[in-house]
Amino acid sequence: MTGTGLAIEGACLTLGRFSLRNIDLALDAGEILVLLGPNGAGKSVCLEMIAGFHRPASGRIAIHGRDVTHLPPEQRRVGLMFQNFGLFPHLTVAGNVAFGLHARRRAGHSQSGRSIAELLAQFGIAHLADRHPQDLSPGEKQRVALARALAARPDLFLFDEPFSALDARTRDALRDELKTFLREAGVPAIFVSHDMTDAVLLADRVAVIHQGAIQQVGTVPGIFRQPANAFVAAFTGMENMPPGRLLGKCDDLWRIQIADQVLYAQGDAPAGNDLLLCIRAEEVGLCVMDDAGCLGLQGATNRLAGRVTDAASLGAISKVTVDCGFPLVAYLTNRNMRELGLTPGLEVVAEIETSSIHLLTRDAAGAIALRSEPRGAGVVLVAHF
Amino acid sequence: MTPVPARPTGLVLVFWLVGSLLLAFIVVPLIGLATTQSGGNLARVAAMPDVRLAIWLSLLAAFLTACWAALLGIPLAYVLARSEFRGKEIVSAIVDLPLAVPHTVAGIALLIVFGRQGLIGGPADRIFGLQFWGTLAGVVAGMLFVSAPYTVNAAQIGFEAIDPRLEKVARTLGMGPWRVLLRVTLPLAWRSIVTGLTLTYARAISEFAAVAILAYYPMTAPVKIYELFLQFGLDESSGMALLLLIVSLALFIMFRHIARRRRVFVGAGR
Repeated sequence: MTGTGLAIEGACLTLGRFSLRNIDLALDAGEILVLLGPNGAGKSVCLEMIAGFHRPASGRIAIHGRDVTHLPPEQRRVGLMFQNFGLFPHLTVAGNVAFGLHARRRAGHSQSGRSIAELLAQFGIAHLADRHPQDLSPGEKQRVALARALAARPDLFLFDEPFSALDARTRDALRDELKTFLREAGVPAIFVSHDMTDAVLLADRVAVIHQGAIQQVGTVPGIFRQPANAFVAAFTGMENMPPGRLLGKCDDLWRIQIADQVLYAQGDAPAGNDLLLCIRAEEVGLCVMDDAGCLGLQGATNRLAGRVTDAASLGAISKVTVDCGFPLVAYLTNRNMRELGLTPGLEVVAEIETSSIHLLTRDAAGAIALRSEPRGAGVVLVAHF
Repeated sequence: MTPVPARPTGLVLVFWLVGSLLLAFIVVPLIGLATTQSGGNLARVAAMPDVRLAIWLSLLAAFLTACWAALLGIPLAYVLARSEFRGKEIVSAIVDLPLAVPHTVAGIALLIVFGRQGLIGGPADRIFGLQFWGTLAGVVAGMLFVSAPYTVNAAQIGFEAIDPRLEKVARTLGMGPWRVLLRVTLPLAWRSIVTGLTLTYARAISEFAAVAILAYYPMTAPVKIYELFLQFGLDESSGMALLLLIVSLALFIMFRHIARRRRVFVGAGR
């Protein structure tokens, strides 16, 4: 993250009652960042600030090493794509692509690069040249929009939930195509979404935004397994966040009291004694209680006795809730659940590796964020793994 | 799959019946007017120089009115469609006000302000030598007052129907706000704007009271018809009335046809 693609430093912005607070973001050349957050988090405002439609009150924005903080949108060289791709309905496909080319010529780039025909051919849309956008499929629209944006030779691509109006199958296909395109173009991109699947499948890195502030930036596994706070944990579908109390340290492991159980966890020292334990449901293993002697810490695995209270299929996977003194949710494959014969009332052993427990310090802000957000937003997403 | 038109329900049939009454109410008097006239009488009236002059003046003044409505009304419509500000409701109400004011009242109010001693008429006369009382400028002022709301309202609806994100995309493609207006916004709002201007034009031709009070002379067609009616009665005036009706309808149909054509600006951006 050298910031050669995009560097935002300490950008603040107030729009009516909403404000972006101290935004820092850095993208490498060719990197894809997914800006993830719930509705109203400030994703689109942040994107429009980068595009130049809102000027930050303080801070600095540089694209491709060029300070654009005080430039209008037409001089920033960004390619912007909205839901439905924003094609001009009064122009043909060729007219739309020409729009980007024309604009670039006007901007004084004498080496006009490729012709319209070449661009249309590159994107496989030459046969659509005389059609109007309303006669195109979503896939064709995306290609026209990409061709048009590319014609203007952007230094940065910005996508504002372009797929949100599409059905799941089309969305998957277009996402794949977009990723291939961005990899080939080598242009850095920010992709705004509230859909975890976009992050998992597109992102080199993810930035989670909430209430106008970046909560965490990192890789998908990093954010999933080690969320920076309770909001990020809840938003990325952390099913298990029981409160616990730090008892002390024992052989490099933290001893944590949770309900009437003691768990062991690896990791950095938490800042306080009141903790939230983040345990992803897909990291919880279940086995039938037959060798009852082996509870507690076994090697690097916590083994807890519990009773199944709920077991239901979510479609591709199954969700099982176990009462171990606290409710613990586990994701299993449907086959796994059948083989174990998991039904409510069954005595089981839950297994959690010490490395699969992420410790958060409980604070007031985190607790509020947790309450205001529906949990389990990432349930469906997990089915994609 | 082509959609199969749904069978009309009883409700729609009843409403058709009721609606037909209104259609008949509009069409029957016009047909009645047409049937009273012999072709010879119409030709005789059409040959009268002052009748022709009055109709020509009406068409010219209405055209100038539409030009002013476009020049002043389209920017206002854009502001109303695109920005939020305190008192926007009040501005919208002011735009619609002429529709609620009786046109004799409008004429008197205009006369007070545009008269030779008026707030606007005085300085206009002293600085530009422009007089409104009894001039073409007065006719246009009277017409504009009563007909401008149609352009503003139609253009506003047209602008509001355009996704602002299209304008944003155009900006990022390298065009400044003025070029985006010319290349994207106006072409997309074109049909609504033409519809609004057509209504303004039609309303301007038909205006009588405000024009008669502010600028009785030079006589526009409605004023001339009124004068013929007072001087010579129904026969003379209804001949000219039919003539004006034919000319107005022909223009109205032509403009509506233009407004309905798709993609007037195909190829913009090339």
